[in-house]
Amino acid sequence: MTVVPAILAAIIFFGSLILIFSEKVHRSITAIAGAALMVSLGKFFGFYSEEAALDAVDFNTLGLLLGMMILVAMLEPTGFFQYLAVLAARSSKGKPGRLFILLCVITTILSMLLDNVTTVILIAPVTILICEIIGISALPFLVSEALLSNTGGVATLVGDPPNVLIGSAAGLSFNDFLIYSMPIVLVAWAGALFLLRYLFRKELSKRPRGVKAIMQLNPAETLNEPLVARRILIVLSGAVLFFFVHHALGVSPSLVALSAAAVALVWVKPDIQEVLKRIEWSVLIFFGALFVMVGGLEHAGVMESIVGVLERASAIPPILFGVGLIWVVAVLSAVVDNVPITIALIPVIQGLGESGMDITPLWWALAFGAGFGGSGTIIGSTANIIVATLSEKTRTPITSKIWNKRGLPVMLVTCAIATILYTIIYNWF
Amino acid sequence: MKVSSCMKSHVVSVHPTTTIREAATILVKKHIGLLPIVDDDDKPIGVVGMRDMLTLELPDFVSFLADVDFVHDFGAVEDTRPSAKTLNKAVKTLMKPAITVDDDCGLLRAYALMLQHNLHDMPVISKEGKLVGITSRVDIGVAILSIWPKAEK
Repeated sequence: MTVVPAILAAIIFFGSLILIFSEKVHRSITAIAGAALMVSLGKFFGFYSEEAALDAVDFNTLGLLLGMMILVAMLEPTGFFQYLAVLAARSSKGKPGRLFILLCVITTILSMLLDNVTTVILIAPVTILICEIIGISALPFLVSEALLSNTGGVATLVGDPPNVLIGSAAGLSFNDFLIYSMPIVLVAWAGALFLLRYLFRKELSKRPRGVKAIMQLNPAETLNEPLVARRILIVLSGAVLFFFVHHALGVSPSLVALSAAAVALVWVKPDIQEVLKRIEWSVLIFFGALFVMVGGLEHAGVMESIVGVLERASAIPPILFGVGLIWVVAVLSAVVDNVPITIALIPVIQGLGESGMDITPLWWALAFGAGFGGSGTIIGSTANIIVATLSEKTRTPITSKIWNKRGLPVMLVTCAIATILYTIIYNWF
Repeated sequence: MKVSSCMKSHVVSVHPTTTIREAATILVKKHIGLLPIVDDDDKPIGVVGMRDMLTLELPDFVSFLADVDFVHDFGAVEDTRPSAKTLNKAVKTLMKPAITVDDDCGLLRAYALMLQHNLHDMPVISKEGKLVGITSRVDIGVAILSIWPKAEK
């Protein structure tokens, strides 16, 4: 390893991370600029090339994200998410405590299948509407929806972008996540739900006023295109079935997701321009550019030296290593986007694996840390930022002070539960 | 024809420190929809409209939803009133930037500005930038249409 390329690559990558953290420039713009700089300098100094950059892109991750985004983009205008929320509102009979649990459960289930940001974007507006009609503050609901979608998303391969990345890099299947991640996440989730129900007990004990109006809501009227909704839900269920067996069939999750998207497109034949407009291209570009940047770090030998340092620390018992990873990643994820952290740590863990360490537990530690850590601050995850932004147009805006009182405890509790269960399970296997 | 020929020159305006409660009283008393906010030199620094005031009663969450046709009864929203604390805030907290026209502006240009910015009323200013009047879509529309009957048959 030569020193100059390593220093250059590290400056570009960590400089980009700091810029992303500062939020002065949109993260996708920073990532593209960083990637272009990495490839250009890499070519000039001979440590990176266009071919190597293309190789560094994990197309499995991009395909899986794109496929799921197309399905959601088609489901969104059908009003299906409003339908679920209105159904919850009616069966709660306007009781805030019951509505809280129902909406939290719906959000969690959705976030296990869809990415958290999408889930929150779809469920938050109708949540605000329902709370306004009942005459209670939407704040406890919005904060909890973001926190529980962060938590629930960790349970499945497709629930959270870091999981997609980890699954793809480590070769973990959809079922691996159901077996190893879901049980721990469910316990952590239940802990988070009880904690939030307790922390918001005052707000949720307010007497509802608009119960009559809530009972007049007709779920059927919320569906704009029932036939389209039904077709997409059938395709989505089919995709989930294939996710269960993708490993056995030797098929990648991205092929399953993209095929499902293709089937839905052919069956529904929507206005494709409208569907493509709703795809979050900036997210896909952000991922692609990060892959290219981290590829540059690897080729410049930065990862090797980090792995080298960590190896010298291998006197530490592996279990402490895993627990340490959960908390370090969680704290980092609370202040910076968890995607760049995950993408950067994947080659480090792979490097440790090549040096003979058993890295399977480390993948799970990374998933828990990246997933639960985002709950800690108002900027910790995109879902948090979205509910905070939406809440500005309600009577009770979410401030970072409120988040520190409600979100931070959730992060600490979920990470603590994950640590305890991780330690127990680690000793069993 | 110039905009000065079809504006109301008895224009009611307020200072930025006026409370929201006082501003509301003026809107009600004068039955108007827009209040220019002026500095000590009578220069407009912003406006506060009926719509901005009403967001205190109906926050803009409605804009997040594709439609609210399925909601037949707004329930508690209908009788939620802004708190005394909110009403005692200065009107500048609701202030929007003022889009104004010069008093020698042509009618159709003024109308185009109102269309473009989705305005119903627009403050009119003098060369020196002082508030001299206020015009509305109806004022301008009536001024334009009034020429038609006199046009060649």
